[in-house]
Order: sequence, then structure tokens, then C-alpha cells
Amino acid sequence: MSTFKDADEVYALIGRAMEACVVEPAFVEATKDGNLVVLIKQTDPEAYILVDFPGQKVLVGDAAQAASSTVQLRMSSDNANKFWQGKLNFTLAMAQRKVKLDGKRSTALALLPLTGPIFETYKAILAEAGRTDLLVG
Amino acid sequence: MTELLSDFHEDVDHMTDEEFDAAFEKAQELSAYFREIGPKYDIENTFAYPTIAKFKESGLGAFSVPKRYGGMGGNILQTSKIISELSRGDSAITLAYNMHFIMVGMCMGLFSEEQNKLWLGRVVEGDIVFGPFSEQRAGFSGLADMKAVPQPEGGWRIYGKKVWGTLGEASDIVTTNATITDAEGNLPESFEERVEAESFFVAEFDVDENGQGDGIRIEKTWDALGMHATGTHTIHFEGFYIPEDGFVCEWRAGAFGVLEWASLMFASIYLGMQYRVLEEAREVLSKKTLGATFGAIAAAETKVSNVGHIIDGIGDMASRVELSRRVVYRTCQELVDGDDDNWPVELRFPYIGLAKTFCSENVMHMTKRAMSLVGGSSFKKGAIFERLYRDSAASMFQPLNSDQSCTYIGEQLLAPDELND
Repeated sequence: MSTFKDADEVYALIGRAMEACVVEPAFVEATKDGNLVVLIKQTDPEAYILVDFPGQKVLVGDAAQAASSTVQLRMSSDNANKFWQGKLNFTLAMAQRKVKLDGKRSTALALLPLTGPIFETYKAILAEAGRTDLLVG
Repeated sequence: MTELLSDFHEDVDHMTDEEFDAAFEKAQELSAYFREIGPKYDIENTFAYPTIAKFKESGLGAFSVPKRYGGMGGNILQTSKIISELSRGDSAITLAYNMHFIMVGMCMGLFSEEQNKLWLGRVVEGDIVFGPFSEQRAGFSGLADMKAVPQPEGGWRIYGKKVWGTLGEASDIVTTNATITDAEGNLPESFEERVEAESFFVAEFDVDENGQGDGIRIEKTWDALGMHATGTHTIHFEGFYIPEDGFVCEWRAGAFGVLEWASLMFASIYLGMQYRVLEEAREVLSKKTLGATFGAIAAAETKVSNVGHIIDGIGDMASRVELSRRVVYRTCQELVDGDDDNWPVELRFPYIGLAKTFCSENVMHMTKRAMSLVGGSSFKKGAIFERLYRDSAASMFQPLNSDQSCTYIGEQLLAPDELND
């Protein structure tokens, strides 16, 4: 059973963390001259989040699905929850096919070392929303 | 990943054609020296010690170090050409120094800026790097059993041994992988934790003339079919201290993006060997005569260069050399251009590895064919063909080998599209 109630909760929690992500100075600097637009496709519950780094905007749901992206990232919502807390080894998850990355992915992978500050942001969002049960020990 | 490396290189001035030509001339000189002394060290079955000074004098150790750290700024394609030229001179000696080029290439993509300045600066000054990784059980796919035990004062002490420590006898800097344990030296219990704890380190390598250092030593164990002059010995880590700033990164995540430096440099070794096999076969077969023959050919005077299967054999070898050259160069160029971004991420390393497996299969085929074409004299000890035949057999082992490549590729292509949760 998923840790998230439904897609709306995914958008309220992970979507909000992504909004912080696109204005995070390290990400802005690293992506300002590129075309990195990541479509995160989550399963269980099914959810779509589009993270437009150069445009510094986030779309969710049908709007995300309809927009064009340069990188597509697939993972379960549970694994997304772990990943945004720094609790999912991305290389191992790819090797075990728990995460699928398609498209022009090198810029996206180059951002992985920059994700640290987002972990704290996401954990704060979970706490603020009263979902400390989603925190991974 | 490679884009990172490409960006890395774009930050600095590329090596110009003139600069490359000058460096290639140095490589030709060094290659000629390797060719001259190689047979002696093949027979003596030891590392070719006099090459250390010559290698350092050539300045080629800094060939691929970016210009901003004082190096020459050669990219992976240019480095491949240098390696092949050296290997044309002597495959075993070059395979030893290939270790240095592999580790410099990998490290510059993994080091922090401070580490690059320090360690690549040392390489520019002439220091040599090696990287023993393989253990009795662990290696390319097996997680390191060698332990890095955290110390109360900071840093780690390393315990374990690496069994394929090439170039240690010439090196000043050691890089290696080990799994960080708890304070009592226990490896992580869960698989995931163990993957994350396997780490990449760099440290000073200071041993005496007998290979004895502080917490580290070389045990001279190398005795193999071929590649005698590589000096590939066992390296014992017996409480070897690595300070905190010697930690580079989590090994598997880091290596994933830089392993092309290993795979394509090995491919370059075997490409260089192919050049040599063809050169030597042409030299012999273009001049050899059989005199009067009464066999498949009955003639008063038989010149082997006029014999059909000899002509075909040389043509076949030349075709393989040209195809291998194109595969290696094209693979390097695609990485330089960032075209690997278009490959499925899971297949990136096996696709890069195809250049090595292709060269490996071709060089083994060519050394066997050359011996067959030249005849029994090629089988005698000291003949270049018997030497190349033995050395080429080493190409079966460096990762990825043909079986590993096919397994990776087939497994990915047959995997279901669904996530594996």
C-alpha cells in the first residue's frame, strides 16, 4: 500500500518540494542556460509532475502530461518519497530497475550532487503537513 | 556523466592539433624505446624499471590532465591515440602505464576541485598513479571486501589486499576502493548500506625499494602467460592510513560515469597491438620465399606474398585493424561530443565496452592468424609473434569482457518495461 493517499497529496508534498527546487540557487545556476525539463512519472498512486528548470515552474497532473519534456523519470511514489529525503541510492535504484530515466539525462544526473538542500525542504514540508509518518528513518 | 567530462574539458582550452602532434612525437620516441627494451623484460618477467625515468621525462603522464591544472589537456580520443602508439612499441610495458592514464582520466571526473589541484598538480610534476581494485573475490561486479575502518582522529585505516596491482612499483599515488565499516571493522549488514559504504580513496604511495611502506606493501606475485612487464603484483593494505581528505566519493555511483577511461584505454592497448601484428606480419611475409615447393603449390620458386591465402590473410588483418581503429575512435568521439546521452542509460557502459571487446577479439584472431601465416618460426620463444600471441590473451580479462557485455545488453533488452518494485 502506498504511503501517499492519492495524487493530490503527491502534488501537495513532492510538487511543493519541486517548486522549491526550481528556485534553489544551485539548481538555477546549473540549469539556467540549458533546456532541462523533467517529467516525473510516479506510480502508486499515479501522478505526473513536470519540473521546468529554465522556466522555474512546476506543473502537475494533466498539464504536466501535456507539456513537453527533455527527460522522463519514472519511479513509484514510495521511492520518490525516499529519494527526496536522500534515502534512495539512485545508482543502485537504476541498476535494480526501481527507477527509469529516459531522454537527455546527463544534465539531470549532474544535478544529483546538488539535491542535498532539497531533502531538508521536503522533510520540512512533510512535517508542516502533519505527515511525519512519511519520514524515513 | 560524460557530459560532465565534456563540460569539464570545455572549461579549458582544448589541445590543439599542433600540441597533439608534438605530444605524439614524444609518444613515438617512447614507443621506440619500449620496443627496444620490451623483449628483455618479457624474458626476465619483471617490470621494466628503466622506463620510469623515460616515461617521466616524456611528460606524457600529464597528457590528459586539463590545462587549468597544468596538464596538456588531451581528451579521451587523443589519449587513446597516444596509448595505441605506445602499445605498438611494446604491449606489456604500455599496459603498465595504461593504468596511470586510466586513473588520471577517472579521477579528474571524480575528484573535488581541491583534490584535482593537489593530485593532478602532482601528476603534472611527474608523479605516477595506480589503482588496484580487484580482489580475490571482488572486482568489477563484486563489492569490495577490503575494509576502511574509521579512526577516532579522523580518516580511515585500510585492511585487505588487492590482487591485480599494476604499476605499483613505479607509482607515487595510490587510488583504491574499500568498504567503510563501523568503528569495530564490521561491514554494513544490508546490501543497500554496503553499496553506499563502498568508497573511493586517494593517498600518497610511499614504499621502499623492497616494496615495503607504512601499512602497505607490494608482494611480487606476478607470473602469468603474457604481459610480463606489467608488474602486476599483490598489494597488501595492513592498516594503511588514509586521512579524511583522501575520501573521493561513493565508488559505484562515481565509477558509473567515468569507466570509459578504463574500457577505452584497454581498447587502445589492443588496437596498438593490432598495428604491431600487421606491421610484423607484413615485414616477414612480404619478403619470405619458400624456394622450390611441391605441396599445395608446385613451383620452382614460391614467394609467399604471391600465395592466395597469405594475401587474403594480410588483407583480413588489415581490414580488422581499420575496423577496430574506426570503432575505438568513433566511440571516443561520441563521448567527446556527448552523443552517449542518446543511449539508454543502462546500456551506456556495455556500449562503450564494445570497442574493447571488438579489439580484443580481433587482436586474438590476428595473433593466431599471423602465427599460422608466418609458420613454425613464429612459435619459437623470442619471436615477436609468440610474444604478441601470449600478450593478446590478456585482453579476455579486463572488464567488460565479451560475455559480460552481452549479458548486460541482453538482460536490459529483455527486461520488462515495468518498474521493478
